[in-house]
Amino acid sequence: MINSILRFGLIFILLILLQVLLFNNIQFSGYVNPYVYILFILLLPIEIPAWLLLLLSFATGLIIDFFSGSPGMHTFATVFAGFVRPYVLRIISPSDGYESGPDPSMLVYGFRWFLSYTLLIVLVHHTTLFYLEVFRFTDFFRTLLRVLLSTLFSMTFILLIEFYRRGK
Amino acid sequence: MRNLLNFLARYNNLIIFLFLEGIAFYLLTTGNNYHNSRLLNSVRGMTRGIEARIYNTTSYLSLHEINENLAAENVALKNSIGKLVRKENSLFLNVNDSVNKQQYLHTSAEVIENSINRQKNFFTINKGESQGIKVDMAVISASGVAGVIVGCSKNYSVAMSVLNLDFKLSARIKSNGYYGSLNWDGRDYRYAILSEIPQHVIVNVGDTIEATGYSAIFPEGVMVGTVRDYEKFGGDFYKISILLMTDFKKLHFVDVIGNMKKTEQLELEKLFK
Repeated sequence: MINSILRFGLIFILLILLQVLLFNNIQFSGYVNPYVYILFILLLPIEIPAWLLLLLSFATGLIIDFFSGSPGMHTFATVFAGFVRPYVLRIISPSDGYESGPDPSMLVYGFRWFLSYTLLIVLVHHTTLFYLEVFRFTDFFRTLLRVLLSTLFSMTFILLIEFYRRGK
Repeated sequence: MRNLLNFLARYNNLIIFLFLEGIAFYLLTTGNNYHNSRLLNSVRGMTRGIEARIYNTTSYLSLHEINENLAAENVALKNSIGKLVRKENSLFLNVNDSVNKQQYLHTSAEVIENSINRQKNFFTINKGESQGIKVDMAVISASGVAGVIVGCSKNYSVAMSVLNLDFKLSARIKSNGYYGSLNWDGRDYRYAILSEIPQHVIVNVGDTIEATGYSAIFPEGVMVGTVRDYEKFGGDFYKISILLMTDFKKLHFVDVIGNMKKTEQLELEKLFK
């Protein structure tokens, strides 16, 4: 228990530092902003109670908001992602169900499962985030393009990180 | 009572979810408001120490380029002083009342936090109320307009960047004086849109665009950019794409400009509205 708290604490700090120091400064022509910190919400154990998941999502979003000077935006999107996570897990559950114990990782459930799991949640998170940012529906399709491109980039980085973890 | 407890137990996650989203939404609507940037300031206050430190280490890497820019700016300033002195001599004017003539007050500052990748971009500078910075002052870089101050704390200020969907500026074509409204369309940090220029006006690619000074925020004649491209928009007006002079990706040293006669101008204008 203490062990996993320490482990997730470390992942938490690492991801936030990565996001704030590196990914917040990546700007491809104003369209693409990878948001990789959402991986923290994805990696939490499957049997985590929903209320704890929501609170952790809230804390993650709030800290990212502090560093990007955008009160509420990331918080809203991340809490929403944390809220849909159990439903996504239920929809894409493997035929023999989830094992108790291991975290949702590529190593345990395979590449295809991990891809659809992350893609769905990242898409939900990015859609909420980018539409909240513009806060209007004019230029609907341009915002959609930003959502899709940024999702592509976030997914690339998330998969890279996950492959690196598997390689270790 | 029992039913209520059952209800709470059954939907407690939904309630927590709605509660947290409520807080987030409250922060979102109050904190991002252009006129109510106090929360933005206080939120930024918490991370400002770290940002200043990150900035300190990264700023060394661009010192060479900054030196060159400063040298160029110095030369331009010296030239303009020379012109002014000659002008005054020729009029035999020898009154040494600097406040009377001076309309704009410049304060130099450094940008310690900046973004270009959002739809509503702000930047933070390292001067605040104690250095005389106030809300609604203009911010310019060595090459052109940069933004408007929207919030000040004691030693820092937050400015709305030109790269913000809420930013509006009255700008004109230097060669013929026709003016329109400049804003950013949220696409590319290098370009902005000048609208409301009528179609009978002759526009050339490369024409200089400058601020008009009608808003009493930006001094007249501050560089904005050059015409990159234009197209007819609707029946009457052009939609002109402007290449911004200020490179927001390298925004570093800025001047904050306060208009000392702004209240006077606005009070007078108010009488006729």
